[in-house]
Amino acid sequence: MNLIAVSINHRTAPVDLREAVFLSEDEIRAVTKKAKEELFKEGLVLSTCNRTEIFGIPANSELSHLNIKGLITDVKPLKQISDEYFENFISRDAVKHLFSIVSGIDSMLIGDNQIFKQIKKSFQIAEEMGFVGFLMKRIFDSAIKTGKRAISETKISDGAVTVSYAAVQLIEKIFFNLSKKSALVIGAGETSEIAAKHLNDKNIGKLTITNRTFEKAEKLAGKINASVLNFSDFKNSLHNYDIIISATSAPGILLSKEDIKSSMKKRISKPMVLMDIALPRDVDPETKKIESVFYHDIDSLKIIVEQNLAIRKAEIPKVEKIIEEELYSFYEWYNSLQAAPTIKGLREMFESIRAEEVEKNINKFSVEDREKLEIVTKRIINKILHHPTAELKKTDETEYSGAARFGIIRSLFGIDSTKEEK
Amino acid sequence: MVSLIHFLNILLPLLYFFSFLIYFYDFMRDEKKFINVKRIFLFLTLLIHVIYVIVRIIKFDHPPITNVFEIFTIISFAIGFSYFILELVTDIRGTGPFIIIISFIFQLISSLFIQDLLEVKDVLRSSLLGAHVISALLGYAGFTISAVYGFLYLVLYKDIKLNKFGLIFNRLPNLEVLERLSLYSAVIGFISLTIAIVIGVIWLPSAFPDFSYLDPKLIGTSLVWILYAIGIASKVLIRWRGRKLVLLSITGFVVSILSTFLSNFLARSFHSFY
Repeated sequence: MNLIAVSINHRTAPVDLREAVFLSEDEIRAVTKKAKEELFKEGLVLSTCNRTEIFGIPANSELSHLNIKGLITDVKPLKQISDEYFENFISRDAVKHLFSIVSGIDSMLIGDNQIFKQIKKSFQIAEEMGFVGFLMKRIFDSAIKTGKRAISETKISDGAVTVSYAAVQLIEKIFFNLSKKSALVIGAGETSEIAAKHLNDKNIGKLTITNRTFEKAEKLAGKINASVLNFSDFKNSLHNYDIIISATSAPGILLSKEDIKSSMKKRISKPMVLMDIALPRDVDPETKKIESVFYHDIDSLKIIVEQNLAIRKAEIPKVEKIIEEELYSFYEWYNSLQAAPTIKGLREMFESIRAEEVEKNINKFSVEDREKLEIVTKRIINKILHHPTAELKKTDETEYSGAARFGIIRSLFGIDSTKEEK
Repeated sequence: MVSLIHFLNILLPLLYFFSFLIYFYDFMRDEKKFINVKRIFLFLTLLIHVIYVIVRIIKFDHPPITNVFEIFTIISFAIGFSYFILELVTDIRGTGPFIIIISFIFQLISSLFIQDLLEVKDVLRSSLLGAHVISALLGYAGFTISAVYGFLYLVLYKDIKLNKFGLIFNRLPNLEVLERLSLYSAVIGFISLTIAIVIGVIWLPSAFPDFSYLDPKLIGTSLVWILYAIGIASKVLIRWRGRKLVLLSITGFVVSILSTFLSNFLARSFHSFY
């Protein structure tokens, strides 16, 4: 199979270049349109912050990787994009590359399953624009199956691998039901926003934002449906919160040990989690010595991140095994797109239906008629299949149209699904 | 039948030990394939334990509550069975090895020292005594499980405080769940022990002529009961929680072990029957 792929990704290009070639949804549609008109019979265009990729079945044999790169550089005319920033894949390697992306082992953050959704979205766009044929459909189905197996059968996506998510993972190791807990996020920057969103995703019971600039706190609170607390008196309300996440850019300590100690007196041994994800730190590290206070800063959260990344890395061989299995399964299907296996499959399917019906009804016939029943039904099947068999034998196996024809026949008569059921 | 009893007596500690090994292996490796295997194995172990107890009752014509080693086999079963139900109801699986090892220890001691008693005092065949002993055993099983969860709470609490994110952190349920499991087990244990004490105080004086309120076991049990009463009251009235509460539970358990040890092995008591 002559699937071609061109990729510019986190392994081949620096972040500024990856950002420069990132395609918006409209740009993906424009590239897809051009690719369909000029280069490919069918294909897929994928673009995320860490990779931009084009997959396709060439319309003619003269097509080279340079033509495909041109699709990207036409939309993003950048001087500094030379060939060295691209990776090229052909045939089996191209399919394997797609499977590796979906399963998360080719992601910058190993096991990141965001890519799974992004590929689904890209495929949806390709399908809407009529860029998906029988081959890409099958490749996509196999890729999705690979991704799902990687997630369910291995630990490739287990555990938190970002500091803000590690903070939430740690909070979940202390509290049982976050919907009954209250959280205060100090700061309204990007880190605070990510942490607040993670808490929201975990159905936190009450979420409050406080920030030196009240307007910024209001803006963030509006985005994530939280309430706002005045920065000037937030220290008096600390005891009302089970979780406090601080991520400000303040130059010194915001919360002293005494602040936490006095709020803990009001909480009567009720645990409090303090996540200091600011640099420099916002909370006095000495607070960790107070009973029932769980204080953690970036360094301690990084321990969790590194441990989880190590677990994910150790899972790569298992995922690679799944990829190999799915590649084998895909090529088994692909190699069946030829005259002989298709005719064989078609005949086996008809014969199994005939045999089943004969067996069901055999008792309705007298003993002497049973042999005739076998002969007559076999003759009917042969006559039905005579013309399709002759036509399939005439089909050129080496052509894309021939493979498509075999694919349609197999799908129409459910030859592959019958085999799988068996 | 006696040979069957002897065979099961040897088999049971081995079964509990293998249950512990499977749970422990699963705790270390966290492999999905062991999720059901370990549960089925524990179920079979408990089933064989039930058969063992029934066969003993039939053959020796008394419930196995007449001496400490007979009682140990019942405690072993009560702890294992309580954990099995807890696992089924809550689906919290990471704490199994820490509970099953206790069942194993009780059963091992029982199997080593248990005797085939055909002759027992008539009072030991009383159904009220049965209710008294069984409720007391359920109470102690509850306290044991409560203490194990309390201990696990303290270990996880310390690990989180010290940024140790190893096996304990990854496998155990969260602190709040451990605290609740410890509290619920203690409450169930406390209710059961209260029933045992009430039956004892009402009925035992008439059954035992040498009954005394200064009996060491009675004093020890009362002390344990008071400790758990304080713990539960502090939870309800002062809203104590977390480390303080589990420390009380562990203290209660240590006192109950000491009380059992002192009253059964060192002091003479009307509770001693052999």
